[in-house]
Amino acid sequence: MNKSIYVSIIAVSLIFGLIISFQYRSNNDSTAGKTTDRYQELTIEKKQVETDIAQLEEEIGDLTVKIETARQGRTEADDAVISELDKTKLYAGLIPVTGPGVNITMKIDQASQAGMGFYNIRDEDLLKVINDLRGAGAEAISINDQRILATSEVRKAGNHININLVRLSPPYSIKAIGNPGMLESSLEIKGGLVEILAVNGITVDVQQSDQVLVPAYTGMLRFDYAKHVQRG
Amino acid sequence: MWLGLWLSIFGLAVGVVIGLNIPVALPQAYAKYLSIAALAALDSVFGGIRANMEDNFDNAIFISGFISNVLLAAGLAYAGDRLGMDLYLAAVVAFGVRLFQNLAIIRRYLLKKSYHKKGNTH
Repeated sequence: MNKSIYVSIIAVSLIFGLIISFQYRSNNDSTAGKTTDRYQELTIEKKQVETDIAQLEEEIGDLTVKIETARQGRTEADDAVISELDKTKLYAGLIPVTGPGVNITMKIDQASQAGMGFYNIRDEDLLKVINDLRGAGAEAISINDQRILATSEVRKAGNHININLVRLSPPYSIKAIGNPGMLESSLEIKGGLVEILAVNGITVDVQQSDQVLVPAYTGMLRFDYAKHVQRG
Repeated sequence: MWLGLWLSIFGLAVGVVIGLNIPVALPQAYAKYLSIAALAALDSVFGGIRANMEDNFDNAIFISGFISNVLLAAGLAYAGDRLGMDLYLAAVVAFGVRLFQNLAIIRRYLLKKSYHKKGNTH
């Protein structure tokens, strides 16, 4: 009986000591516990931040793609504007052009010059040549490097002919870009300009060429009266 | 009686040493229950001392009281946790009150004894 009392006393005190020491230890670890809590908190926060970062990176990708497409669109628009401008310049004759065509030389016959000498190359002759060339589909024409524009005049002024307000004198070198065969035949056709002018003592020499360079208009473009009408 | 005291002190010391050096650490979540259990154990110990003073110490009552007190206290704390109620406060209050009562009774016995001794010797 007595012994069992002592055993139980020892057992109880042992367990009590165990509990107390455990408690003491876990209380001492409580700072560590708090740090684990804090750790968990921070882990959650970190996860959130990471998802945020992932989302933002995705957004960056999207926006980069958008910027890229926008830039592409802009360069496309730029290109379109530039090509449109080039086309317009080409149509207007503001840039030099090259291509197959004919080189025409008009000069007064040596014989007629020596003999009669009364006949000179008139502005009408040049205009007729230009007209025939245009009729044969010439896309660009120049006379003595003066580009013929829609507003170009061909006008006799004394012994000279003015084109684009520039005074020209014979021999006249006419360059035209177009179908060379058609251009040549339009002038050399029977009863055509070459024949008629030859009667008047003017030699017209037409040479087909693969590479004709027609220079650009170099003067000033003036539109003092004409205003464009808004389309739309 | 003195042998019992020494034995209990010895057991306590051994328990503390084992508890401090054991590599197993209790999870943080059970610390609350263990603290209530410790309080219950303390109450049982004081109850045992008091019973010893009153000379009606019963080993079976002592052991069963110890175990049931510990289990009830821990269970109460656990149930309170499940129910979202600070039920462990009940155990804390009850054991605390009993602790002080037991202490008071033990104190009185000890005082009475010392008076007795004084009267005997002189």
